[in-house]
Amino acid sequence: MVAGLLMIGGAAAGVFGALLGLGGGVLLVPMLTLGFGLPLREAVGVSLISVIVTSSAAAGVYLERHVANLRLGMTLELFTATGALVGGSIAFLLDEQWLSLLFAGLLLYVAATMARSGFRPAPEEATDTAAPGSDDEAERDEPTSTLERLSGPGYRVRRLGLGIVGATVAGVVSALLGIGGGIIKVPLMHLAMGVPFRVATATSNMMIGITAAASAVTYLIRGGIDPYVAGPTGIGVFLGATAGSRLAHRVDLRYLRLLFVVVLVYLAIQMLSRGLA
Amino acid sequence: MTASHAAVAERLSGRLLIAFTYVSVGLLVIGVVLMIANGISPLDPSPGLDLATLGSSLLALEPIAFLWLGILAVIAAPIGRVIVAGIVYASDGDVTMVVISIAIVVVIAIGVGSAIAVTF
Repeated sequence: MVAGLLMIGGAAAGVFGALLGLGGGVLLVPMLTLGFGLPLREAVGVSLISVIVTSSAAAGVYLERHVANLRLGMTLELFTATGALVGGSIAFLLDEQWLSLLFAGLLLYVAATMARSGFRPAPEEATDTAAPGSDDEAERDEPTSTLERLSGPGYRVRRLGLGIVGATVAGVVSALLGIGGGIIKVPLMHLAMGVPFRVATATSNMMIGITAAASAVTYLIRGGIDPYVAGPTGIGVFLGATAGSRLAHRVDLRYLRLLFVVVLVYLAIQMLSRGLA
Repeated sequence: MTASHAAVAERLSGRLLIAFTYVSVGLLVIGVVLMIANGISPLDPSPGLDLATLGSSLLALEPIAFLWLGILAVIAAPIGRVIVAGIVYASDGDVTMVVISIAIVVVIAIGVGSAIAVTF
């Protein structure tokens, strides 16, 4: 019974995550703590496992289709992994109430970001330039400078230093709160580093795996992952994310996004009251 | 790094990730089915990871062994992807990317080492 509920909850988080371009972690952690009474740190550990599953499944496809920028992703991964290493250690030093308050802050930030973009068209339509990974790839010139080497067809990467700082912060936040960190990495790459939205999303998705893995090892060794909860939840999230990615182009995301804002604000209030209790 | 090598690194990394994902989800499914068949609730206290007995537990069809193996496979997938990409980059003599690949693995190894040091 509980296993079925965890699978359904995980599937719901996976569907919403895939439809709205979020990892499931933003929904999973409140669901596990508020709905199933799991300690927040264990919920974060379970969420990290689920986040890796969805990231690996999606990133595998993105890499095969040459949509993700592997070079840029791996360069930034070094820093997200370092951030995750630090964040994973901090998570075991912080009181659960502080973690709850931090999570409430994250939920409000995501809600505000979604509310702002509420009825705007998806940035992909307006900002994608070239189709990365097209057959022109074989014809591109050999790159020379660092930024050129990290760039892709039709775009040039800029502000690598800012990208490194942002990636490190994303790693810390991911490890502390059990999220993928795409909410930081995608705007960072797209708006600050000049990477087309579609490539930024795919590259961020790829990076989420190693970011979450870097902190998941800490949670695993320190007893922060419950396999009985992680199993059904991970399967649910995988199935939900797979279904969500197929539904994405058939659903009007504007209304879904606004509904999601309401859910996030409600969850933020619950996490706040838990943190202040 | 030639464009064709970059494409090979991406393709191989992608295939590895997809394969690992299906294997790990498959192990988790077996673990959950066995868990339900044995009347174990997800809210029951779970035994910790014991690598020494993992093999014998798998042979005994214990649900916890399949769940732990699935979780280990989940975590190994992105790390394996970095290693595979590093090998492809090394075959092309791309020193920068090889160093980055090694550095990522080292960071994760430090994480493992420090967690072990704190826990045991």
